[in-house]
Amino acid sequence: MVKVYTTATCPYCAKVKKYLKSKGVKFEEFDIEKDPAAREACKKLTGIDWAVPVTTIDNENYVIDYDKEALDKLLCL
Amino acid sequence: MKEKIHKDVVIIGAGMAGLTAALYCGRMNLDTLVLENGIIGGQIANATDIENYPGFISVKGGDLIATLQQQAENFGAVIDEFDEIEKVTLKTSPKIVETQEKIYECDVVIIASGMNRRKLPLPEEKKFAGRGVHYCELCDGAAYNGKIIAVMGGGNAAVDAANFLTKYGQKVYLIHRSEFRADDFSQKRLRANKKVEIMLQTEIKALRGPKRLEEVEIFDKKSGETKNLHVDGIFVNIGVVPNTKLFEDELTLTASGRIPAGEDCKTEIEGVFVAGDVREKEIRQLTTAASDGTTAALLAEKYLSKLKG
Repeated sequence: MVKVYTTATCPYCAKVKKYLKSKGVKFEEFDIEKDPAAREACKKLTGIDWAVPVTTIDNENYVIDYDKEALDKLLCL
Repeated sequence: MKEKIHKDVVIIGAGMAGLTAALYCGRMNLDTLVLENGIIGGQIANATDIENYPGFISVKGGDLIATLQQQAENFGAVIDEFDEIEKVTLKTSPKIVETQEKIYECDVVIIASGMNRRKLPLPEEKKFAGRGVHYCELCDGAAYNGKIIAVMGGGNAAVDAANFLTKYGQKVYLIHRSEFRADDFSQKRLRANKKVEIMLQTEIKALRGPKRLEEVEIFDKKSGETKNLHVDGIFVNIGVVPNTKLFEDELTLTASGRIPAGEDCKTEIEGVFVAGDVREKEIRQLTTAASDGTTAALLAEKYLSKLKG
């Protein structure tokens, strides 16, 4: 399952979610502002204290921000 | 092979100017496409509270732009924010806007590509990006709950960012190399907030920290004194640069990188209009962006009527 780490107010998070929906990708969203465990998981994944949006499919490879080319590559779109 | 599609009008950019143009073009039954490579709303997508847009006491940038997007779409304009533009050819007839997936042929192009935030011009920027150096307070502000935050810049965007970040920070420094450019009202509100310390005529010379940002070296231009200031994060709001790289080979740009055009928004190429902050002009506000979008759309319709006889 694709995971997207977000915050509620981040416009780039909204764009990533819209892009994934436009491509028919099912994903699970984690709000790192409200969910400390998700924040820790995102930090462990990226090595960065706080980064959104972060998209991952395998908890190993990830894309920070809205980067269409990188998302296409990560998710084989 | 890419699909070829004809449009009356292609609008490049979905900020205030582009979406206003789309709203007007749509209402005039023009076949209108808006392409946006970045975020719909552009600079105002990040604006927390807008208090100088007529008709609203206070409105969030995201809410204002969502309404405007809905208005434009209700009148038939199509907005594509995922198919990125690769190349434009403006001097031919029809004009061509080539994206990753399609080739759009059109009679009118309205350029409303707006501005991008300027990056912090320090060598340590890369090391600390996301590790103490940020550009989006709406995205990353919450990371600094109870922490010490600095905002760099002196315009309205910086002052608004500092005001917003007081929601999280135990202390917020506003550091700017010269005097305020922000309007008096925003300044007064910032000055009234006890969490805020304003440091004008102060330059940030270096960023320090083993892995993440821990302190900034600042230089007080009035006293000539250099000192280190502990901060957990810095939000950079030091102005914007015009988003005109796509047009460098097609249009003459001004020294600031903007596109020259008068109040009629007409560029040197017939059928190519420029609207919003990317147009070279003295006043750049949300209201003037809306005004440009209106002017460009109405004159585009006149141009198309003449073209089609």
